[in-house]
Amino acid sequence: MVESRWFRRAGPGLAAIGALAIVASTTLGAPEPRWEPSPCAGPPRTGDVPRGAWYQLDPVIEGGVRTGQRLEVGAAGLGPARTLTLGSESFAAGPFGGTVLVGTDDGRQSRVSLVDVGAGCAWSLGTTRYVVRRATLAPDGATVFEFRVDRGSRADLGVWRRSLDGRTPAVRVLAPIEAHAGFGPTWLTDFAWSGDGTSLAVQSCGETACRFRVLSLAGEPLRTVADPRVGDIVGLSGHRLVAHGSCRGLPCPLLVIDLEDGSSMILHAVAGQAALARDADGQPVVVHEIGADGTRLRRVDLDGRDLGPLAADPAGRRLVAGPARSGGTAEHAPDALLFGTDGRLSTGGTAAPFLRRLLDGTPVPIGEVP
Amino acid sequence: MITMSRHPRRLLLGLTLGLMVATPLASQAGAHGQDPALGGEPFDINEVLVYRWRAGSEPPLAIKTAIHEAARDVRASLASRAATFTYASDGDSVIGYGTGTCGVNGIACFTRSAPDSFTMWLREQGRVYDWGTLKWCQTYAEPPDGCYDAETIALDEFGHVEGLGHHVNYADDRDYTDAVVQTLSRTKPKVGWNMHEFGVCDTATLQVLYDTPGASSPYSTCLELVTVLALSVNDASVPYGTTVSVTAGLRIKTEADYGEMSNNPVSKRTVRLQRRPPGTTTWVTFATMTPTTPTGSYVTSVKLQSSTEFRAVFSTPTTEGLRGDVSPTIKVTVGPCTGSCPTSSEQ
Repeated sequence: MVESRWFRRAGPGLAAIGALAIVASTTLGAPEPRWEPSPCAGPPRTGDVPRGAWYQLDPVIEGGVRTGQRLEVGAAGLGPARTLTLGSESFAAGPFGGTVLVGTDDGRQSRVSLVDVGAGCAWSLGTTRYVVRRATLAPDGATVFEFRVDRGSRADLGVWRRSLDGRTPAVRVLAPIEAHAGFGPTWLTDFAWSGDGTSLAVQSCGETACRFRVLSLAGEPLRTVADPRVGDIVGLSGHRLVAHGSCRGLPCPLLVIDLEDGSSMILHAVAGQAALARDADGQPVVVHEIGADGTRLRRVDLDGRDLGPLAADPAGRRLVAGPARSGGTAEHAPDALLFGTDGRLSTGGTAAPFLRRLLDGTPVPIGEVP
Repeated sequence: MITMSRHPRRLLLGLTLGLMVATPLASQAGAHGQDPALGGEPFDINEVLVYRWRAGSEPPLAIKTAIHEAARDVRASLASRAATFTYASDGDSVIGYGTGTCGVNGIACFTRSAPDSFTMWLREQGRVYDWGTLKWCQTYAEPPDGCYDAETIALDEFGHVEGLGHHVNYADDRDYTDAVVQTLSRTKPKVGWNMHEFGVCDTATLQVLYDTPGASSPYSTCLELVTVLALSVNDASVPYGTTVSVTAGLRIKTEADYGEMSNNPVSKRTVRLQRRPPGTTTWVTFATMTPTTPTGSYVTSVKLQSSTEFRAVFSTPTTEGLRGDVSPTIKVTVGPCTGSCPTSSEQ
């Protein structure tokens, strides 16, 4: 697998999430003018370099009922965020080299699109009668992985792979996950790439606990984790998977699981939000809150070595965890961390989200690629 | 009731964490016991946590009502001195409706920052999951099968906020209703879908973390606490015909795992006093001892005309989670009769 530059910069855990739907309309969030992304010219593609793109996906709730989702996208130097209103079953993933993968479902078919944030245009990558619940883009920038369910029964149909340009048909690469009473029905399936882009973790979460199947693009055997005490993924680095426990809340134990021998270790017993980054030497580092209030941050390596505290944001912005928790993310260097109001990137927060370098804590405005 | 300082409370949780770290992903604990305790500090004894709605993410009225009802359920069924929850528009704790930062947690989530505050989120009606679309029963005049009861779910979340982890059920789930704090929530009409009070295995852990309301309060039947029954007499060597006062003291065993209940005095239970002549083997129950002060004490006065051995018995009750105990034997030596003495058969 050729690793493109944008992917290396995007770092681990940035390739996933959202909720399914249909591009019901495209509008600019008030008070911005209506935004209609025009069709992009030529074959779909991502940028070769990171362009500081970001997205945030939030539900639209009217009268207590979800009526759709609001997708905000932005990029360095772009100006105000652009807002698309999606249907209730929709998702976003990425960013991938200045683009965001958007899935929508209109009740009859699912459509996956690739939005070029900077150019303000989108490619339709195709439609299917199945419900595409999630999708992600491989590091080669040319392959899409989709998780599908049956439209009527909502039965798991597995993970499918197809080319970005639509020239090759979709092929199932992972079977439906087997039912297991200990996990219950699957609530959310999600993707996360390893830091080097060679493995794709497919996370199938019940109400609180998750199972993992790690697909190697290099042809190594499928590795699985199925322990009811393991919750959602924080990141994947080589053969080690970092995840929270199955807690339904925070604080919660933070675990690292060795996919090769199945051993595990608790990195911290009462961790809050967490993110997997890489230090200046490229070594994986977990940064996590101590406790649930976000006032203390700690760095730890995957062997459990305490690398010391990290100052919290004086303005109270929280560490932005992966998209499954935060609803969004941004392209940034792997040695940087995202912070935002309530741990989210929403521009509606009391203070603008920002990036910090892991090494020295240097703040960088979001949208500026360090 | 024993009053413990803040320091021992921290120690208890420290021990809990130590166990978690020592056995990260060991085999599942045996089914059906008290709910596991979550890591982190407990709230203060009898603390009142005041919640408000999250600005911009307020639940609809039906869900607000369900959350208020769940807060009432906590107060009505906590069987302990755990924190209670009440609403005020300026509360320090916030409850939201919608996405929040629940992560993959399907239906609701929480954060707890004891002793200051907590947060809670309930997902929105109509949210679409892999399995289908979330429905809250409270939003329907005639709740359809497959809906989730928001009051039950909120009670589950309040339990987490208190520090309760998910109950470990028997393999066949026959004990599901022993706890509302469950890994897998149930939808209408499955048994347990609308539990509106803590189960006995929830209150067991609440009692460990926060103690029982009083020395006479029942202990959860999900517990099996070892008791220690002591026995003393005001004078172990008395003249013939003296009335002695035999006093029993019933306490919970001093045990770190018992948390706030460790060494608690246990009052207003049935403690029987038994006697036998020295050198014999058969005990005869002759009195139910009377509760007295200090708390956890029981007393019986008895006039003695011959040396006698005593022991007290606290039988394992069927209505609460205490294990019975028998006190050590004490002997009272009685001097010879020097006046108008009964025949031996009268003694």
